Amino acid sequence: MNNLMDLSIEYSIPGICGMPSGLCFVIDGFRLIYACIATFMWVVSLALSSQYMKHYERKARYYFFFALTYIATVAVFLSADLYTLFIFFEAMSLSSYVWVAFDERKASLRAADTYLAISIIGGLTMLMGLFLIYDASGQLLLTGNTLKINELADMYIMAKAVKSGSLHTQIWAGGFCMLVGFGAKAGAFPLHIWLPKAHPVAPAPASALLSGILTKTGILGILMLTNYIFAGNMEWGVIILTIGVLTMIVGSLPALTSTDLKRTLACSSVAQIGFIMTGIGVGSLGIPMGTSGAFLHMVGHSIFKLILFSAAGVIYMNAHKLDLESIRGFGRKKPLLNVIFLSGSLGIAGVPMFNGYISKTLIHEGIVEAAMMMAHMEANGMAIPISAGTLSVIEWIFVICGGCTAAYMIKLYICIFVEKNSDPEIQAGYDEGGRYMNNIVTVALAAAALIPPTLGITAQKSLNGLTDMARLFLRLPSVPQAHFYSWESLRGGLISLAIGVVLYIGVIRTVVKDDEGRYSDPVPAWLDLEDLVYRPVLMRALPFLCAIGCRVLDTLVDITIVALRKTVFKDSRKTEELKEGTWLTHMLGTAANKAADIKAYFWGLRGKKASKRPDYVHRFALDYTSFKESRTVIYRSLSFGLLLFCMGLVLTVAYILITRWW
Amino acid sequence: MDPLGAIFAFLTLIVFLCSGVFSFEYLKGSKNIKSYAVFYVITMAVELLLCAASNLITFYMCYELLTIMSMPLVIHERTAQSKAAALKYLFFSMFGAYFALFGIYNLSKKATSLSFVYGGNIDASVWVADEKILLISVMAMIIGFGVKAGMWPMHSWLPAAHPVAPSPASAVLSACVVKAGVLGIIRSIWYVAGTGKIPGSYVQKAWMILTLMTVFLGSMLAYREQVLKKRLAYSTVSQVSYILFGLAVGIGSVHTDSMVSSYAYVSDSITGAILHVLAHGFIKAVLFLVAGAAMRYMNVHKVDELKGIGLKMPGIMVCYTIASLGLIGIPPTGGFVSKWYLATGSIATGIPVFSWLGPVVLLVSALLTAGYLLGPAVKAFFPGREYRQDHKDDKPLGKDEKPGLLMLLPVATLTLLSVLMGIFTSPIIEVIRKIFFI
Repeated sequence: MNNLMDLSIEYSIPGICGMPSGLCFVIDGFRLIYACIATFMWVVSLALSSQYMKHYERKARYYFFFALTYIATVAVFLSADLYTLFIFFEAMSLSSYVWVAFDERKASLRAADTYLAISIIGGLTMLMGLFLIYDASGQLLLTGNTLKINELADMYIMAKAVKSGSLHTQIWAGGFCMLVGFGAKAGAFPLHIWLPKAHPVAPAPASALLSGILTKTGILGILMLTNYIFAGNMEWGVIILTIGVLTMIVGSLPALTSTDLKRTLACSSVAQIGFIMTGIGVGSLGIPMGTSGAFLHMVGHSIFKLILFSAAGVIYMNAHKLDLESIRGFGRKKPLLNVIFLSGSLGIAGVPMFNGYISKTLIHEGIVEAAMMMAHMEANGMAIPISAGTLSVIEWIFVICGGCTAAYMIKLYICIFVEKNSDPEIQAGYDEGGRYMNNIVTVALAAAALIPPTLGITAQKSLNGLTDMARLFLRLPSVPQAHFYSWESLRGGLISLAIGVVLYIGVIRTVVKDDEGRYSDPVPAWLDLEDLVYRPVLMRALPFLCAIGCRVLDTLVDITIVALRKTVFKDSRKTEELKEGTWLTHMLGTAANKAADIKAYFWGLRGKKASKRPDYVHRFALDYTSFKESRTVIYRSLSFGLLLFCMGLVLTVAYILITRWW
Repeated sequence: MDPLGAIFAFLTLIVFLCSGVFSFEYLKGSKNIKSYAVFYVITMAVELLLCAASNLITFYMCYELLTIMSMPLVIHERTAQSKAAALKYLFFSMFGAYFALFGIYNLSKKATSLSFVYGGNIDASVWVADEKILLISVMAMIIGFGVKAGMWPMHSWLPAAHPVAPSPASAVLSACVVKAGVLGIIRSIWYVAGTGKIPGSYVQKAWMILTLMTVFLGSMLAYREQVLKKRLAYSTVSQVSYILFGLAVGIGSVHTDSMVSSYAYVSDSITGAILHVLAHGFIKAVLFLVAGAAMRYMNVHKVDELKGIGLKMPGIMVCYTIASLGLIGIPPTGGFVSKWYLATGSIATGIPVFSWLGPVVLLVSALLTAGYLLGPAVKAFFPGREYRQDHKDDKPLGKDEKPGLLMLLPVATLTLLSVLMGIFTSPIIEVIRKIFFI
């Protein structure tokens, strides 16, 4: 194990993609584990796809993006700095979009839009965080081959942060932005809305990957933030813890009431992400057990969801339905599917001997220990970020949500494998059997189903070994030791399971089933955060308001120009040739016409008399013409010449007289 | 021609070449091809001269000539609408040019010469003595050249001129001609006036406010616009202001009265700005050419009509999608790298409020960009089951009914360039840093 712990291979392609350092990759224990899990999951999904996608068109498109997302996802897990991570993170988000939209039903396209929007909003927010962090620390490299370098990185950030207050704010703002980005991908509250929408409509192999591994890239980012940028920062721990608890609740409750197989599993994913984040938060409070529990739950959840979604895929490709009422009784007389589904269910529900139990126990112990630590610190008069009482409440929420997990898994299991369908004909069809999985799928799923019990039984060796490998990345000083099968630990797990049974009998069998015993979701469909808040606000109200303002600004100059042209720069009227007369006669004539019209109006002259009104423009023009003609006649006459001559003579005489006597 | 001019000239050559090849197929059977071809080539020549100009007077002459020579491209259709748009373009550009002329006149009084020397020709003592008039002239030049760059408030010629011009002409207008305004601002501030007392002055603040407003306004209006080419025009308004914001914030914030240096501290956001000149040039040319192809063969005018186009002309629409991703700033395209440098450079200046507000506005605008470009791309490839059902019996398009090689090749080349410049950026960045002494 020692060798594996120190494993760290770095590889970088300098000078490309805009950064001098280029793309940097590193393989350490944690990354190796996750690269292997990713590869394993893709192999299993590929096996399932071979049968699942048989009847679909446009398979090439599916497989192309299947491969592309694989490359991007592995690159995300192997990236050594946040810049590289971001590049592949975006590629992964966008190429996985095609999975969700693949079906091209209305619901798929709508869910895909939501997924895309959340991905892009998350991606851009993360980018803002990267800008801020990059500026504050001058680097984005978050790993080093030894612990020493990691510490240096922290010291660097811390030293700068302490030096000036604004830098401190900047790091917090950056960290928060990145948390939003990673949280959106992980499915953390309040950006979890895409999971219950996208998973049910995507092809099952894709759902398995979306839920099993793509959400884990978000967790990877949150781990990076927690372990490297905010290492040992308790306030940060409380933030993560709060988000984790909220996510746990908003995931568990709809999973209880949901009556769609894949939607239940999707909500369950949200809840499990909540568990993981709670673990990380507790770890950040200074309890290593929380971090290791979160890590193990992360690994476990990848495997469980692979198994469960693949099983859902098997059911869908035979029954072509996903709502519980229709697939009820599908699993009867199918022992292999039964065992596979059971393995995933028991694992995720945290039944002892399965690895889900181990990870949940670790997180639970972590919360208890954190509460003890806080009480201790308070007794010593130290400032505490969160009170011990709150942590006890969180502990109970954790146990109850664990119970919810058990309850909805019991719901699914009993519905599919125990109960009979309400329609005997369909049940007969289901019981008929035949081959419902081809060989490849069988082998792949069986292999996946073996993992949870194997890991659970050999926990002391295998899970501790995994934690040891990931120790460097998780920055654990040593592997936290816990006695998984001591009475203390078992009691916590058993209480949770008991709550699960009670919830199943008390809530699911009474509320989720209607009077005739059919499964129906008691929560009305309109009660949906996305439809009630996000879409109306982001798609309608905000753009509408902003658009009004922008439109005004946009047309400001145009309106000014139009206004000026109407007023100051009004075009002069084009001079036209008049048909007859001059401007004077035209104006006088028009005025006379108007006057005549007004007169006619007031004197009540209408009809024929009014139409007989002479056109004064014409009349004045005629007058003018005759005036001009007579003028010409006068000009040309002899007497006019004599008259002018006389006037000239008079003027001359007057001039002489004036000059003479002056 | 200095390296800065060479960068602009490189963009001009590539885009004009690709759009020119595209024009052959686009304008087949259209009227007035001869006049189009003549003015197209002249516009290119003038733009190259503009890049090569080595003093402000030559630059100004080429700038005016560019306006006049590119106007016939807008008027190509000879419709009343295109005439009105062309006149609007002409008047707006002239208005801007006279504003700039006012600045040039003042600078010529104060500067030792008007030829381009990095750092400017105005002595530090002159900056101290005549601060007011110099700031006013710089502001006038920013606003004047900003008209061509589509900066608010004189941006509205873009959405008027682009929709009526033939698509290849819109492509070169939007990718190259608009950038003449950017080059004008760089030349007059960094090469003639010197940054002098601009950092921290009202000029810088007003410039930043104007650009950020334009960035948001352009994106928002593009998001609400339904006519495809108008949407792209508003997008240009927004994107070119990214560049201008990078320049505005990149002048820097270091400013003490005792030490006014022409070589004031400049930040990496200028690197981002110049990178964005290239990235936006390539990408916007692709988008306009794709719009042209869709208009010619599928009669697409409104954005909604793009639905299902991806199934009919996949090659072109793949290019459109990649270009859209680039404009949003999704790695590893050129748009991402330029945005990265713009934003990190902006934050690094530490100018109060604007250093972080800038990146926030850029990202909000990127989100809107995703809304107005990616939405149609998605609809083009995923039209939904109903659409497929309705169009199941459509015959496959004949050879003359879909874009041929002459269209596909230039579009693909430009798309490839926009991606490659994102991956192999380092040499370009080094050149830019050398130009600006960053």
